[in-house]
Amino acid sequence: MNPLMLDIGSTYFKVMENGRVRHWFRDFTRPIHDDLMDKCGGLVARHTPENIFICSSANGGLSTLILGLSESFSLKYAVNIAFNSGINIIDTVLLPRLAEATPPKEQVDVVILVGGIDGVAGFFGPETAAFLRQVDYSNIVYVGSDADIDFVKEAIENVVILDNIVDGKLKMRDKGLKTYLTDLYQADIMGKEEIKRLYDITANQIFSTPYIVNQALPAISQKLDVADPFIVIDIGGATTDIHYSRDLVSDNITGEGGYDRLVFKKLGVYKSRESLIHTARQNEYVFELLEYLGVTEDILEKQSEEATRVLMQLAIFLVLYKVSRHHGEYVELKLENLNSIVLTGGITKVLDEEDAEAILRFFYKKLLHFHQIPQLVLDHDYEIWTYGMEAVSAKERP
Amino acid sequence: MSLFQRERAIITRNEYVDRFDFEEIEDFVKNADKNLFISHHFKTRDKMLVQPRGGFPTFEKVWKLYEEFTAAGVDVLPLTIDSNTRLNDYATAKKMLILSEENDVDMLNGYPLIIHGYRTTRRMMTHFNTPVSLRHGTPDARLLVEVAIASGIFEIEGGPITYLLPYSKNFPLDKAFLYWKYVERVCAHYSAFNEPINRESFGPLSATLQPPAIVIVIQLVEMLLSLEEGVKSFSVSFSQSGSMIQDVVTAKVLRKLAREYADRFGHTDASIHLVYHQWMGAFPRNKEFSDALITTSTVIAAMVGADKIIVKTRDEAFGIPTKEANARAVASVQYTLGMLKGIPPVEDEEEEAHLERMVREIMEAVLNDGADTLWRKVFNAIKKGHIEIPFSPHVINANEVITIRDPQENIRILERGKLPISDESFAYEKSKIRLQPGETVVEKIIKDIGIMQ
Repeated sequence: MNPLMLDIGSTYFKVMENGRVRHWFRDFTRPIHDDLMDKCGGLVARHTPENIFICSSANGGLSTLILGLSESFSLKYAVNIAFNSGINIIDTVLLPRLAEATPPKEQVDVVILVGGIDGVAGFFGPETAAFLRQVDYSNIVYVGSDADIDFVKEAIENVVILDNIVDGKLKMRDKGLKTYLTDLYQADIMGKEEIKRLYDITANQIFSTPYIVNQALPAISQKLDVADPFIVIDIGGATTDIHYSRDLVSDNITGEGGYDRLVFKKLGVYKSRESLIHTARQNEYVFELLEYLGVTEDILEKQSEEATRVLMQLAIFLVLYKVSRHHGEYVELKLENLNSIVLTGGITKVLDEEDAEAILRFFYKKLLHFHQIPQLVLDHDYEIWTYGMEAVSAKERP
Repeated sequence: MSLFQRERAIITRNEYVDRFDFEEIEDFVKNADKNLFISHHFKTRDKMLVQPRGGFPTFEKVWKLYEEFTAAGVDVLPLTIDSNTRLNDYATAKKMLILSEENDVDMLNGYPLIIHGYRTTRRMMTHFNTPVSLRHGTPDARLLVEVAIASGIFEIEGGPITYLLPYSKNFPLDKAFLYWKYVERVCAHYSAFNEPINRESFGPLSATLQPPAIVIVIQLVEMLLSLEEGVKSFSVSFSQSGSMIQDVVTAKVLRKLAREYADRFGHTDASIHLVYHQWMGAFPRNKEFSDALITTSTVIAAMVGADKIIVKTRDEAFGIPTKEANARAVASVQYTLGMLKGIPPVEDEEEEAHLERMVREIMEAVLNDGADTLWRKVFNAIKKGHIEIPFSPHVINANEVITIRDPQENIRILERGKLPISDESFAYEKSKIRLQPGETVVEKIIKDIGIMQ
């Protein structure tokens, strides 16, 4: 029997059975489990718990603060491992600039400490401990030089010590930290009452949706009309994820998979609407973009179908802007080398091809001075996650 | 339209490419003169083909270079691509080409083929009516190869390993395998219309103390990856090692195993050729010594029975050679080859047996990997360190194998890292190594790298 696959999003339930994908808009007034069983209880009843696979982005994920020694190695590696484990990064701090750093005000789920190669000591001192005393965190993990372990154990309570993620040849060793973060993510899901109840209907591990989408990427060019290098932009209600082919980054880290992920926690179009509008207002191109779309600024204040469409167009623009050479804060992608862009997530329910293409034309012309735009593919049926689920469930099944 | 054809349409719809007319290009390849195909020359000519290196930014300068080469008796023309194009940075290539044209100064180290476009470049290729070999070093050569074949360039050098591990630090290897799969399929596609498009692997690798066993394994796997996509004409290659007898042994084993593995995988109809690169390491600054080195390597090429030789120049130690120096090298190699007909065979059975055993041991480990595709088996082998290239800058390369020369200047494996060679093979390698009293391994390696200086 083919497996039943469920994706619990922040806005929709998505279900795939026998190659057919269906969606239901979530009722936020009710618990997830009750809402789901009410809408798809019949489907669920037809399958054994072993045959049901679930992924979810509804719990929002974990947040992390990373303290590292260098941008070229320790910090870069930790950021990469955290993103690929489905963790949202709140901030990063370089140890040499610790004195100028401000501790985050919000609560952090996990702090990652990293730096140095094994055998070399002295990267972590009393100032690190003092800084951490100002941070409100639930977990802390050390993945730096083995020579500093004694100090770290002494100075920081409940610290978990794992293998250094930078090996003797300055290569990334990601297994230990990745397993730790993934386990933490699972524990977090298990701890969230709403998600926890879903284990009543499945005997399999509940995965994070971004992880599942990332697993789908190697199969995309065989299933859709896209050519590598491509990016997948997943604009949902709460967050926007961008999954990109690693050859779009000059300074990439070679590892498994060939694709990395970046999450913009505050660029969703429903739950993070206010934050998206705020980001848009700060952007130097946005007013030109609104003019290009034939709307005025007050559209951002409205609650209408047209306003939602414009907001989604803005989200595409902003995410591209944030990974372009015009913005140094995140990873810089070689957008001029892109062959295809795939749009997925809730956005595909609202925008049609023309709307999305208009934004790409504006972006490529304005920022890159290009007349050609990459091939655009809209994942209207929200199929991509099913490729990832198929890959993962095939691994799980005997 | 097939998925592959749709992918080709996406790749060729590029900001820097004029409208790509597939039908017209197929028609051009179908009716192209056979002289443009090196595979035709391999089949019909009874001599070692001589090919120099070279490429300039502007159309006019490449034209003049080709005139000079033709006058010197060249058999195969080169087209070396500039570094920006190799890195898919066509915007910079375009800017630098404009500057080169405006100021008559070479702002690029090769020909920006994508920017010139196939309609322009084809005029040159058909005018000279000589086979042209595309020399680049690009991990993602999909667009470049589409434009090259459309221009009338019917030999494509490179491969996912040989154009990545020696050249790049970070480019993802799995992507390189997939991009080269596309290249092979394009070459196979056009091979059906006329003479086959020839693919050539780049055997010199990092050109620094490369052990023959690794060179041969990489040549074999790149050949198999190419043939499995339908390529029918393939050249394996290696470069002068610094030991005459090791080159003879390498050629013999490489030629034998290439045919054997091609047949074993069902590619009995593929023709396989051997290419010999003159010394690829650091050249002497004394130009007379350079001349001697070039002549010696021409003699070795004749001893190994190469189908093609790729020549160097006496100016190698000083920068990019002029067209005159390049043409002089071609004439000199042709002259030397004229004296080397009927060279008696040289053999070293013990070394041949030893090298063949090592290659088989590594190939067995590669092919026994549990992956379901050949490219993934090879990818896994590189990740595991079963294949590695000494002195490669790439982050995925294991960098554990250490090589050194024995008293006869043969390159030997001092540390085997994770190479899956038997204790017996490794013991044989180590038994040949001698260090002078008080000499450190590092000192010896430095001396061995600069052997020709």
